[in-house]
Amino acid sequence: MRQEVVLAMLAKEPSHGYELRRRLRQALGPVGEGMNAGQVYVSLTRLEKADLVRSARSETPGDRPERKVYALTPGGQQRVTEWLTEVSWPKPDLAEFHLKLVAAAAAGLADPVTLVDMQRRELLRRLRDGQRAAMTEADGSDAALLLEGIVLRLQADIRWLESCEQSWTGRRSGS
Amino acid sequence: MGRVLLVGRLAWRDLRRRRLEAALLLLATVAATTTLTLGLVLSDAASDPYEHTREATNGPDVVAMVSAHPRERPDHPEGAGAGPAGPVDIVVDEPADRAALDELAEEPEVIDHSGPFPAVAAEMQAGDLTSDVQAVGRDTAPAAVDQPQVVRGDWVADGGVVVEASFADALGVGVGDPVTLAGRSFDVVGIAVSAAAPPYPKSLCFAPMGCASGGTPEEVAGLPAGMLRDPGLVWLTTPDVQRLATDPLSLSYVMNIELTDPAGAAAFVEAHGVMSPEAPILATWDEIRVETTELAREARTILLAGAWLLGLLAVATVSVLVGSRMADQTRRVGLLKAVGGTPRLVAAVLLAEYLLVALAAAVVGLVVGSLTAPLLTDSGPGLLGSAGTPSITVPTAAIVVAVALAVAGVGTFVPAVRAARITTVDALADTARAPRRTGWLIAVSARLPVPLLLALRIAARRPRRAVLTMVSLAITISGLYVALVLATFLDDTATLAGGIEDARTEQLNQVLLVVVVIVLTMAAVNAIFVTWATVLDNRHASALARALGATPRQVSTAVASAQVLPAFAGALIGAFPGGFALFHAINAITGGDSDRVSLPPIWQLLALVAATVLVVVSLTAVPARLGGRRSVTAALQAEMA
Amino acid sequence: MTDTTDTSGPTDTAVLCARGVHKHYGTGAGLVRAVDGVDLDVRRGETVAVMGPSGCGKSTLLHLLGALDRPSRGEVWLAGRRIDALGETALAQLRRTDVGFVFQAFHLMEELTAVENVELPALLAGRSPRAARRRSEELLDQVGLADRGPFLPAALSGGQRQRVAVARALSNEPAVVLADEPTGNLDSAATVEVLRLFDDLHRAGQTLVVVTHDERIAATADRLISMRDGSFVDEIGLTGGTRRDLGALVGLEG
Repeated sequence: MRQEVVLAMLAKEPSHGYELRRRLRQALGPVGEGMNAGQVYVSLTRLEKADLVRSARSETPGDRPERKVYALTPGGQQRVTEWLTEVSWPKPDLAEFHLKLVAAAAAGLADPVTLVDMQRRELLRRLRDGQRAAMTEADGSDAALLLEGIVLRLQADIRWLESCEQSWTGRRSGS
Repeated sequence: MGRVLLVGRLAWRDLRRRRLEAALLLLATVAATTTLTLGLVLSDAASDPYEHTREATNGPDVVAMVSAHPRERPDHPEGAGAGPAGPVDIVVDEPADRAALDELAEEPEVIDHSGPFPAVAAEMQAGDLTSDVQAVGRDTAPAAVDQPQVVRGDWVADGGVVVEASFADALGVGVGDPVTLAGRSFDVVGIAVSAAAPPYPKSLCFAPMGCASGGTPEEVAGLPAGMLRDPGLVWLTTPDVQRLATDPLSLSYVMNIELTDPAGAAAFVEAHGVMSPEAPILATWDEIRVETTELAREARTILLAGAWLLGLLAVATVSVLVGSRMADQTRRVGLLKAVGGTPRLVAAVLLAEYLLVALAAAVVGLVVGSLTAPLLTDSGPGLLGSAGTPSITVPTAAIVVAVALAVAGVGTFVPAVRAARITTVDALADTARAPRRTGWLIAVSARLPVPLLLALRIAARRPRRAVLTMVSLAITISGLYVALVLATFLDDTATLAGGIEDARTEQLNQVLLVVVVIVLTMAAVNAIFVTWATVLDNRHASALARALGATPRQVSTAVASAQVLPAFAGALIGAFPGGFALFHAINAITGGDSDRVSLPPIWQLLALVAATVLVVVSLTAVPARLGGRRSVTAALQAEMA
Repeated sequence: MTDTTDTSGPTDTAVLCARGVHKHYGTGAGLVRAVDGVDLDVRRGETVAVMGPSGCGKSTLLHLLGALDRPSRGEVWLAGRRIDALGETALAQLRRTDVGFVFQAFHLMEELTAVENVELPALLAGRSPRAARRRSEELLDQVGLADRGPFLPAALSGGQRQRVAVARALSNEPAVVLADEPTGNLDSAATVEVLRLFDDLHRAGQTLVVVTHDERIAATADRLISMRDGSFVDEIGLTGGTRRDLGALVGLEG
């Protein structure tokens, strides 16, 4: 999981490590059950090193990471904003985009529906490219086969984005 | 037993669902069964009045007549066309053998008799009309056997004449009118009916020169001189009759005989009827009855022929009905099979529906036919009482039921078997009724203007239906052809001797009219229904044609034309070879004489065909138009379901 | 977020133009607004795709644009003529010359061969049988089914049937081809066949309006319009794509 996810989860407010973990688990549901417990803390450490977050000691003594309170630095804030508007599509791991939306909604950073729309446009353009490319290849060639796979997956992803849009639109009007 | 109930229940439910079609089916079959019933019971209905009259007048079991033997006369110098010489001017070779009658009266089977009464042939004039008559001399006192019942006025008196009721009606004379008999004046003192002779214009002939009844003008012109034409029956006192005869030897004698056993009349005649010119001529009461009810039998022929036509039309209607619903049925068949029904069960359910309707139609036909039979057999004034409601005998009921079942069976048999044989999978997938493809028709239609193009293709999708339409019209027009022939013939023979109108042709015309009206109604109902079925069948194709650029008018014209073209072909077939063939077939079956009729001229037949086409066009225009009004998108989407 | 062309009449290059088009069914409590105020301009040679959930009115809209139905309110202009107020007869003539329709269910006549199906609009328009047949064979060749002419639809695959339907739609050289869920009844391979065909048509300059669920078809369009509850809610311009970073699509670092 990319570090930017953890960053974004801090955008709303500073939190303890364990708090972050809990929110991630909640957002991911069963998908997150296989998540490595230490993953979050590793990311936090790296982010601190990169000066994107800073940690403050909590009241209670002891140096354990889960007890530290983490907050975004201005650099981290900027990185989050950049990341939110990125439309590059990751490897088939929808969790990242899903968490992007959750974080954006929680922190009030951006309208999830807008994010979905933007991503959808991008994917449609990619679908078009992939399709065009597929049609120039000979029928049944290896390249055509690969491109067909790309196209079909993009199509599936776009469908999921449509569901996201419906769902987030509903939440917005309901809340 | 459970299976039979199940079949019955499924059949009943389905009929209730499709009420309009069940009603149509019922109507088509009822038309045939009613006409058939009428045909079968009519003569029974007509016999009632004769029975009644026989009872009231104590009618004879056998009538015996003797007449004088005339000398052979040379041909009339003016030739055959000049008309017969006066009936009283004959030269007698041998007088009537009165003694032979007296001998007959002595026979052991005879329990009573009246007569011998003298009778003479004469010419009677009443107002403008003239007619030959046979005048019988009777006593003023009532006779033991055959005392004619006076319905108006009184019995015979000197100087007075009692006229037989039908004859009086035809001549238009009433009590008190003056008439002339053989030049002498008489007054009509009474009108009476008798069972000893059939009513006017029929007669029992006791004139020396013989009698002739009916006939076309050409036949009449060729009669030998001295023969009576359509003689009426009148009664005078015995002295008056003897005075009328210029030569006492020319008198005929008639005797009415009552037997111990009326049923033995035929045997009596067999035993005593000698075939020689002087011997008495014997007629049984049954023969007289048969003559009396001849009209009913002629009407019966018309009705039976009509019933046949209607039966065939009903088969055509049923076929179209069944065929158009087969798509629906096929799915049901699939379901039944999928839940374990054998092909036999499936066919049984399919047939059961139509058989139920056929049975109902048979019952309705029997009831309506017997109730309306009296209306069609007005016995006229010549008999007492009117026709009663005939009772349905078991043979009659059996015939009607059999015909109704046959109609249903023939129409549904082939589709039912086909549906039963279809595999379950195909049935459920409903691929059974894919439209037929006729390659050459499609190629030919491409060259035609758009409405005809579409019409031809529509007709080609269901060739069986087009053929059925053609056959129905051919049957109908053939029937009309025969009706035309008959009507013309009746017109030709409607006038009796002396310019008197024959009331019977009026009745036959009525019966003919009734049958023609029923046939035309059924044909019209058929035409409308088939057009509607075609519209429904072609919803998708019509919508598609419209989506591709055909105008609504082109489409409705096409749907109507798909009907009109086979109808036109059918009308042509019916008018030209069909009607002719039907006429000769009926003639052969009824033993009629086809030389006596004139066949309709060509212009009449062409007019008939043209009228048919016009009627079919107007009948099919409305459903076709209504069908063309639907929205294209609705129709296309409906077909997608 | 609709297109920002002028709100007056049709422009010179607009083949199809809709202004304030409404289609209602029923009254009172049963009132259904199938199409609820739509404005649209389609330029010559453009491919426009309309996407939306079931029941959003996109098929109804297509029927209105294609002279198969009349709007309850609003104007529709086709090839420079106003068509919303025309009678059935005039609309029928329009369908012969200016519009070609492709349906989801193909709607081929089952008893006609492929070539007979394709020549039907030409025959209905009054062309001579020979000319109609010749054009039909040309079109079948164009869609790659030259050898399938004498076959009945039952003997053709789904993709082939739809291609025959497309050929039929092109029969009278229409100004615009309207396709209603053309790949709705097709599997993936057949969809690709139809895709290719649409692409060819697009490159040949045919104006195309497609209503679809299928993102792949939508992605071939120049403009993609999203429709919901009878009106347009979004529009994406998809032109100007190049063969970009396809590798990144499958995780090849590039």
